[in-house]
Amino acid sequence: MRRSEFRRLLMVSALVHVGGFLLFAISPSPTSSPAGLPAVIPVELVELRSAPAAAPQARVAPAPKPVAKAEPAPVPKPVPPPPVQKKVVLPAEPAPPKPKPEPKPEPRRELDPAEVAPPAPPQAQDYDDVLAELRAEVGEEAAAPQPTAVPQAAPAPTAGAGGSGPVSPAVAAWITRVKIHVRRHWVVPPGFRTQPLQTALTVRLAADGTVLGEPAIQRRSGNPWYDEGVLRAIQKSSPLPAPPEAGEWPFVFAPEDSY
Amino acid sequence: MGVPSARSFALLACLALAAPAAAAERPAVVVTPGSNQSFRAALQRFADRSPAPDERRAERFRDALAAALEFSDAFQVLDPKAFLGPAVTRSPGGEDVVCADWTPIGADALIGGGLRVDPRELAVEFHVWDTARCSGLLRKRYRQAADADPAAIARRIADDVVEAFLGVRGVASTELAFISNRNGNSEVWVMNADGSSARPATANRSLNAFPSWSPGGDAILYTSYRYRNRPHLFLTSRAGRRAGRVLPELNGSVSQFRGVFDPSGRKLAVVLSGKSAAEIFTVNADGSGLERLTNHAAIDIAPTWSPDGRRIAFVSDRSGAPQVYLMQADGRDVRRLTYEGTYNTHPAWSPDGRYIAYESRVGGSFDIWLIDVESGQAWPLVDHPRSDEAPSWAPNSRKIAFTSTRRGRPDVYVVDVGGASLRQITQGAGENRSPAWGPFPR
Repeated sequence: MRRSEFRRLLMVSALVHVGGFLLFAISPSPTSSPAGLPAVIPVELVELRSAPAAAPQARVAPAPKPVAKAEPAPVPKPVPPPPVQKKVVLPAEPAPPKPKPEPKPEPRRELDPAEVAPPAPPQAQDYDDVLAELRAEVGEEAAAPQPTAVPQAAPAPTAGAGGSGPVSPAVAAWITRVKIHVRRHWVVPPGFRTQPLQTALTVRLAADGTVLGEPAIQRRSGNPWYDEGVLRAIQKSSPLPAPPEAGEWPFVFAPEDSY
Repeated sequence: MGVPSARSFALLACLALAAPAAAAERPAVVVTPGSNQSFRAALQRFADRSPAPDERRAERFRDALAAALEFSDAFQVLDPKAFLGPAVTRSPGGEDVVCADWTPIGADALIGGGLRVDPRELAVEFHVWDTARCSGLLRKRYRQAADADPAAIARRIADDVVEAFLGVRGVASTELAFISNRNGNSEVWVMNADGSSARPATANRSLNAFPSWSPGGDAILYTSYRYRNRPHLFLTSRAGRRAGRVLPELNGSVSQFRGVFDPSGRKLAVVLSGKSAAEIFTVNADGSGLERLTNHAAIDIAPTWSPDGRRIAFVSDRSGAPQVYLMQADGRDVRRLTYEGTYNTHPAWSPDGRYIAYESRVGGSFDIWLIDVESGQAWPLVDHPRSDEAPSWAPNSRKIAFTSTRRGRPDVYVVDVGGASLRQITQGAGENRSPAWGPFPR
């Protein structure tokens, strides 16, 4: 009798323990539920307006909300990825010192023949200024060789309305100065540098180089944000170096490898 | 008097007509990018319009927003000491913005706003101005429970600002799942994309591996040895339900090595192995409709879906060494993708569909490589003597998280697709590996 009672008690005790353990095992832990995916903070978007009423949206509105990669349709080549050096061989054993990949696809800043103005007789002292500025931009110190051997090259074969005929030295010098000036103000995020984006526009300039009004886009890049960035760069650059003549000047903004 | 003015008018008209012609004949100024890669943001302290205003709260909010903007790598935040305009937003709607206050200090963007905390909620309103063109780009309002972390809203705002300037949403407000043994066992953890607020998602004291998010971000699929000490797929969800086995009815002798959701969230690609080599199957998310995709004496593992859900990339050693292959989502049209390198594994398809990131063994360690899916061109993302492994894409396809032993113990790092802006986002707490970047928050 006593024995069976003891057994019964033992049984009850065991059941209680097992039950308790199961309860413990099954129930979600009280302390910030470590056994579950943490809850998100529900952040609620209350309202959305594309632009404040006070500010008229820019004319080049990115209205057709493009998906992340709004690329121009006629892209002939699949975009070559960031120009990290292409590995040529996979070393089988002791790897030869691998070429250090460039951290960012920073475009080359050499004196690109296509980019440098046509040679001009070094008459204008203005032109020396330009060269000095160019050198500074390139990172060269003073005594750089005179780029006498710079080939001709009309500055803008793709400019659509490229000037035919020779460009006067004064204009060439001004163009070079403007490029350097505008480039300082143009922010190009890495994602835009590897795409074949090109924006062509005309900018109306006062005699002192002040940008008059909103530039007129002649050819969009296909990426509204890139175009907006170009317009921003023009505005930030005002006043530009004083042009040879006031009036409208064509500009083309292009990452180097697409140009 | 009338005659000369009429004449000058005529002259002006002539000039106006002549101008376009002149522009067409002028040589174009061709501008190529310089070294500026990030925009400069002037970030004001938001006006605190709470019943009990608190300057420090507004300052902390500004700090959180500045950190989230910097994390994007798309913005540098200007020091308020340089401001010519007000350091604190006066009008939360931005009606009184004077662009001339901001352009001289080099600001591309002006960000201001107001916040209001009451016993129930925190509401934040903000505006973004393009200062160079002096136009408002964005104005929005967010709100959340009063006791939630205000930085959550700051991260959402930062991501919106990035999108306003780049057309690509930022990822400061996303999360990463990863495996950490910081508490002794290899458990699934979740953290913010910048590495903050790491918290456990499993605590089963077993071995857990291969976290993979559901497309909606409300659940994580993972492999665990918690049941019968064999690998099974489990699901943990935010809804607070207990983590459950995903394919419970499979024969107990079948190992479930790994599973990944398809982009719709309705199907999984899973790696199973009975007595034969590991093969890839698909199965409905409820465990029904198991279908075999690969059937080869070689092992077939590591599936990753194309973002349109029509293709799967995977790893097979059918050529004698692990290489990345592609197939249709029903298993047809298998073709080899990687030829460069003798050991390529762990593919991850970018959300924009263009690239696949994978590990490639170089010498004795791995590097992360990218391959253009259409052209087949491949190149190393980063190159380091220590091992970089297990790539996972940010939902905007601009950043990649991976595991690296470059500083000794495995830790999770983030780098942009150009190989720049490397950040270590876990440190000082055990080994951290297998990052799985979650989707955008809804």
